[in-house]
Amino acid sequence: MSVLVVLERQPEGIDELSLQALTFARSLAAQAPVHALAVGRDAAVLATRLGEHRVSTLHVAEHEVFDSYAPVAVARAAVELSERLETATVVAAGSERGNEVLAHVGALLDLPLAANCIEATPGDPVRVIRLRWGGSLHEEADVRGAPVLLTVAPHAVATETVAPASESAIETFTPALSDADLLVRVSERTQAETGGVSLGEAKVVVSCGRGAGSPEGFGIIEELAGLLGGAVGCSRAVTMAGWRPHTDQVGQTGTKIAPDIYLACGISGATQHMAGCKGAKSILAINTDPDAPILASADYAVIGDLHEVVPAISAELRKARGL
Amino acid sequence: MAAVALVLFARRALLLVQLVRLGAPLARFDDLPRRVKNETVIVLGQKKLLQRVVPGLMHAFIFWGFVVLFPTIVLAAIYVVDREPGLPANSPLAWLEHQGWFALVVDVFCLLVLVGVATAFWIRKVQRPGRFHGSHLAEADLILGLITGIVTTLLLWHASQIALGLNDWPSGWSPVSNALSGLFADSSTTEVLERVFVWSHVLIILSFLVYLPYSKHLHIATAGPNVFFTRTRAPGRLEPLRFDGPDDELRFGAGTVPDLTWKGILDTMSCTECGRCQDVCPAYATGKKLSPKLLIMDLRDHVFAEGPRVLREDGFEPTPLVPNAVTDEVVWDCVTCGACVQECPVAIEHVDHIVDLRRHLVMVDARFPAEAEPMLRDVERSSNPWGKPQDERAAWAEGLGVRVLKEGSKPPEILYWVGCAASFDERARLAAESTVKLLLAARLDVAILGPRESCTGDPARRMGNEYVFQSFAEQNVATLDAAGVTKIVASCPHCFNTLANEYPDFGGRYEVVHHTELLADLVRRGRLKPAPSGDTITYHDSCYLARHNDVLESPRELVAAVGEPIEMERSGKRTFCCGAGGAHMWMEERGKAINEERVREAAETGAETLAVACPFCTIMLDDGVRQTGRDLRVADVSTLLVEALERS
Repeated sequence: MSVLVVLERQPEGIDELSLQALTFARSLAAQAPVHALAVGRDAAVLATRLGEHRVSTLHVAEHEVFDSYAPVAVARAAVELSERLETATVVAAGSERGNEVLAHVGALLDLPLAANCIEATPGDPVRVIRLRWGGSLHEEADVRGAPVLLTVAPHAVATETVAPASESAIETFTPALSDADLLVRVSERTQAETGGVSLGEAKVVVSCGRGAGSPEGFGIIEELAGLLGGAVGCSRAVTMAGWRPHTDQVGQTGTKIAPDIYLACGISGATQHMAGCKGAKSILAINTDPDAPILASADYAVIGDLHEVVPAISAELRKARGL
Repeated sequence: MAAVALVLFARRALLLVQLVRLGAPLARFDDLPRRVKNETVIVLGQKKLLQRVVPGLMHAFIFWGFVVLFPTIVLAAIYVVDREPGLPANSPLAWLEHQGWFALVVDVFCLLVLVGVATAFWIRKVQRPGRFHGSHLAEADLILGLITGIVTTLLLWHASQIALGLNDWPSGWSPVSNALSGLFADSSTTEVLERVFVWSHVLIILSFLVYLPYSKHLHIATAGPNVFFTRTRAPGRLEPLRFDGPDDELRFGAGTVPDLTWKGILDTMSCTECGRCQDVCPAYATGKKLSPKLLIMDLRDHVFAEGPRVLREDGFEPTPLVPNAVTDEVVWDCVTCGACVQECPVAIEHVDHIVDLRRHLVMVDARFPAEAEPMLRDVERSSNPWGKPQDERAAWAEGLGVRVLKEGSKPPEILYWVGCAASFDERARLAAESTVKLLLAARLDVAILGPRESCTGDPARRMGNEYVFQSFAEQNVATLDAAGVTKIVASCPHCFNTLANEYPDFGGRYEVVHHTELLADLVRRGRLKPAPSGDTITYHDSCYLARHNDVLESPRELVAAVGEPIEMERSGKRTFCCGAGGAHMWMEERGKAINEERVREAAETGAETLAVACPFCTIMLDDGVRQTGRDLRVADVSTLLVEALERS
């Protein structure tokens, strides 16, 4: 059964998750052809790497809307292509975008979508195993549809290539897009407030608890985080008090972080907080209370008032950098 | 006319019965003696209503009044046809209407009903308590008006009978009617009036009968059965879902109207919108979207909107209860503290509704507050809700000398079930350390399971994930049985409730006590001899201990043995939640915090120490003290007891 894979692009080429989706698609296609869809200018260059993934043809959809992300338009192109090629299955990576595009394909065709699959057995229906509950549950499901719509759970399938690599043909087409297909598109891009460093991915996180005293008390924390190129976090008590948005909360009910170093200022170390920072490689705690639970998990500790210690660290950093 | 009224009433009553029968099955026909007792105490004795004295008496007067006045209604229905019907002399009714005492009772209760109605108007028009917010107020006014009409026409009818000399009873026995009879002079007018009064009396009753099943006053008919069919087992036990039956009998909580249990549908028909539940709800009190009263009213409106269509229209697809009847937020605001259930005079089971709605959202739609997902995942993967390594579970016990049960170890006299919070949380583990120290000091043969202990599944169950709960229940029961455990002491009321009340449904039958019960017993028997201090201590009842399991006295005995007790206003079975129940330990609270509200109440007693008997209350209230900056020490009763032993 032939498969169409909707590719996502990165500046350096094909997105890793799309390569995983290609590996997944080959297992489903068996000997049948694997087609790929890419959108936007210069997409044809991607074909050079597709031979080693046994892609018979790279279909490049051209339209000015593809200069930026436009999920409905991509979905429309995929529908048009899939109908023309009569592919039995349409696959995309289970990324934010892959899931969104295939959800639109599902809506356009009035067909079900099985998201986050890790395994699929060809047949009618297609038997899939998919991740649910943030990965804690494997669901076995039968999916029917012409075509069957699947996305592949990120990092559940390892990318593999085939040897010898074949040659991928390139075909260019312009999908017939209606005004409705152009409605969803990027209108503006703004940087998040953290200055581009997201809490979950930051290498350095500087957090503060109620000890900050007020929303303004976070000034010294932001300053230190800025100097270290890190993100600002906070405890649940701080978001409860309305001093910082919930997106800044480190903890089991907030963001789970995994920085190289976590600076916890005036944070006692409640279980719910520690559940959020157990991924930190090392923890530096600054606390006036030598019995605070966080000291049990900290690699380094300063017993002292954060209002004195934090500005002192910032001052030293500035001095060392000659600022 | 009476026939028309009866037909109208019967048509509506039939629909109501059909709607109740539409509900999913639920076994509520067992335990007959308890049911009869509930009916006697809660309905006839008005026990729940009398939890509040003034509104309770107000309702009791009206209720008892109508019980007593029932024979007079039958008599009026006969007399309306014939002024002097000549009842068969040996019939009970004829006997009754000749009794002076009965005439006295009727007059007294007519007055009491009028006092009740006046009080009700005073409450509604002058006092205007917040519990009525969201209720249909005009409907209540109309009903109170009809009641007034029924009773005054009865008194006036009796008075006119006396004036005409038609009374079969000695008139001196009915002081009110007798006094009123002085109003009637001219006998020809009185003859007409006597007819007018009895006819008005009967007509008002008939119109009441027709109006009744369309109004919130339906509870006259439904409250009795609803109380009869209420839970008879521990309030903390949730009804398990069965996953092993045939496919078409599987039920994953409540998604649409026919998924509600028949008792759940009867609940919605029993609500009088009195708002006692709303008044005690910690979520409502702190400005959340949930009002238990509006929850039931909204479900009722949905039952009446879609139930009849499900019954009559082939192929009608009922719409989802969430968010059409109630919003997601309402479902997740509940802390399952059960204050509403405790308060409800007609035995509505709000928490069961909430859990059934959650079950459907979680198991079918995978729709729940995102921040709670790590907890569910950690319970499944790590067997504890914080994702801590299981091999660190007994780290707190190092050096205390308590036996950790290995496979094949000799079964202990008592197994201490520590629970995840006391095993892993820095603040809660103090209680575990204290408990073990005390049990060893009293020379009990106690042991812990250590890394073989898992989450009981309670937080997952209260979130609606019955799957995960049941797999933990089965696994833990297997572990306990294999270890030869017969008696368990738990310091966590949530574990305690699950082990004692819910595991029997999965084959786990053990004698389970809470650590405060065991410790109080040891103090009583002189095995532990605490020396009290002069510290003032206020004790916070955990919902799952006091309300759900009736453990009230033991912790108080311990508090009295170690310090000077002061009670908070909301205590015992009418306690106020700390905010952690119903898996809220792992959810974000929106708006005003429940724990701060409780800490405020505790601090206002002037106590120096806030004693608790639950690890989650410990964490929540200690957080509350920090957040509000109050000068109050939060400590588990067991820790206070250790200190008192060290003093002696």
